[in-house]
Amino acid sequence: MNKKFFVVFAVLAIASMLLSACGAPATPAAPVAPEVQTQVVVQTQVVEKIVQVTPTADMSKPTDMPAGSVTVNGAGATFPAAVYADWAYAYQYVDPSVVINYQGIGSGGGKKAIVDGTVDFAGSDSLLADADYTNGKDLQMYPTLGGAVVLIYNIKLAKPLPTPAAGATAVTLPALVLDRQTLVDIFNSKITKWNDPAIVKLNSAWADYLPATDIVTVHRSDGSGTTEIFTKALASFSADWKAGGAQSVEWPKGNNVGGKGNAGVAASVINTPGAIGYVELNYALSNSLAYASLINQAGKTIVPNNASVQAAMAGAQFSDKMTATIVDSKDPAAYPIAGFTYLILHTTNMKDCVKAQKILEFWKWAETDPSAQSRVVKLGFSPLPAADSKLMLDGLSKVACNGAPVLK
Amino acid sequence: MSNYSEKIKAGYLRRLQGRKVINLLMLAVTFLATLMALIPLFWIVGYVIYMGAPSLNYDFFTQLPRPVGMEGGGVLHAVQGTIIVTVLAAVFAIPPGVVAAFYAARHPNTPLGVALRFSTDVLSGVPSIVVGLFAYALIVKPMGHYSGLAGGAALAIIMLPTIIRTTEEMLKLLPSNLREGSLALGAAEWKTSLSVLFPAAFSGIMTGFLLALARAMGETAPLLFTALGNERFNVNLIVTSGLKSKQNIGQITQRILDQPLDSLPLTLWKYASSPYPERVAQAWGVALVLMIFVLLLNITARLWLANRAKKLRG
Repeated sequence: MNKKFFVVFAVLAIASMLLSACGAPATPAAPVAPEVQTQVVVQTQVVEKIVQVTPTADMSKPTDMPAGSVTVNGAGATFPAAVYADWAYAYQYVDPSVVINYQGIGSGGGKKAIVDGTVDFAGSDSLLADADYTNGKDLQMYPTLGGAVVLIYNIKLAKPLPTPAAGATAVTLPALVLDRQTLVDIFNSKITKWNDPAIVKLNSAWADYLPATDIVTVHRSDGSGTTEIFTKALASFSADWKAGGAQSVEWPKGNNVGGKGNAGVAASVINTPGAIGYVELNYALSNSLAYASLINQAGKTIVPNNASVQAAMAGAQFSDKMTATIVDSKDPAAYPIAGFTYLILHTTNMKDCVKAQKILEFWKWAETDPSAQSRVVKLGFSPLPAADSKLMLDGLSKVACNGAPVLK
Repeated sequence: MSNYSEKIKAGYLRRLQGRKVINLLMLAVTFLATLMALIPLFWIVGYVIYMGAPSLNYDFFTQLPRPVGMEGGGVLHAVQGTIIVTVLAAVFAIPPGVVAAFYAARHPNTPLGVALRFSTDVLSGVPSIVVGLFAYALIVKPMGHYSGLAGGAALAIIMLPTIIRTTEEMLKLLPSNLREGSLALGAAEWKTSLSVLFPAAFSGIMTGFLLALARAMGETAPLLFTALGNERFNVNLIVTSGLKSKQNIGQITQRILDQPLDSLPLTLWKYASSPYPERVAQAWGVALVLMIFVLLLNITARLWLANRAKKLRG
């Protein structure tokens, strides 16, 4: 430990700082990289920016936790975690005597925890297996909200867009449009070039700009509810899709890569010219990524947004277990790649009736309070439409503790 | 004759020249290799500071998280939770770890000593997620809920092998006449261990303990299934509202330890995989705080060890 050492140390420290400073834009932490994106992807839609939840004066201070307060623990799907955390935070100002704690540990972890009885409620994007109903006879799933899976793309244009005349607004291309069969063909690697006639036919405005480059499909490498919704949709779109619909599938051989999580898929798409991948709508919105519109079963071109996801949810045909698949909806206004996320509760054998009441009051508030519902949309998700909401609330009112209904 | 020796000398000088060049070349290569090995560390440290520093402010350490879209908020819950679970882990792991190491150092060749060494080696190689699942099955499931206590127990399992092995190594380094002298003076075996060997090895044991603590502090996986996480965890609030309603220390401690709590790595993991850019930015801040904690522990441990080595050399 002499002077020389410190000189070397200092030189290395400074060098690494400089290196990392230079390296920063090249390897973005979050795959936002707007400068990359504007070069290769044409930002076409006015992205519904997430509106800031205005903090009211008292909402910046945590409420007191009285000695008798109840802590309710929930865990599971990461997909709705931002909404549930938001609701839980707001609810402390509605009922200070209860702390709602929801942690996104994954749908699988949530289902295991509720069956084991280590949480008071669970969240899940995927359905309980029959074995879970055998182990926990009183388990019930309730839809809480919905979301869409959207296609993000990175197309290096065949020629630059014309420069606008002075004073005129910049020339932009509309959102890419795909139909159900074309989408399946792309992910089956049957369509391999961006200037394939099938794509050109759907996008006349893009005709001169679609390049003759290879299409690279990007999928989730980790098991995910997002993949389940997406692949179930593909299977429903066309009999050509043989890989089935599940949390992870055997992707058809071809030009494809995997990415971990929404962020991994987005990073791959942003860094790979010619790439197309799927992420959750809330992810695309909050990171300002351009996404494709889809032509649904009724032949209408649909932009994924709150209205089109709600249309899909409104047409849901629920099973006796209160679950439904809403991909490829027949409704003309529905976006075809959407899904519910669910709450899982014990319906008859919750031991602590005070806690049971707090849990149900919270969920009733979350599904009925206008401010709670408006937050869902701000975060990029869709609240339940009236019919589904009624079904869910009816279900909640049947939950009993010690034989008596919990909600009065 | 002289011509001949001149020739030898010239040949020798030529070879010397060649050797000098090769020496210089190899020195440069080793220097470059050393540099390459060092750069990742400094790069990581520099990059985390670069990305994380903008998120740090007073609120970051004193506020609870706010929902996405709402300005401000911090990670007070995670800082408090990290301290609590690591202290718990230390309390659980140190007594059995140190005592077991004394046994292993004194009886290295007994079946139990061999078994202990073998099992610590195996334990240190077990993936931490497995430790988390083990603690879930053993503690969380029977208790019926996630808790800081379970998180501490899981981290204790992670710490145990490091503590046992370093303590054992430190005890082995002690000269055997230290123990023999004590025994010759009539001290019992336990007295020798407690008042002669333990003080002599103390700083070495502390070093091992700090390194184990640093490792446990950075673990995410064991906490995922045990401590779970809790954005509303706030010791200050629990204590003040507990005192206001006249709860005693036992009740307040139970409220703190018996509920889910968060830690920095857990928060980092959740924020970094979140879809919202502001959360990802905060994740870098959390990474920076965690890195500072771990580096401080590591550097303290190294300095302690260096200091001790100096003392031993006289």
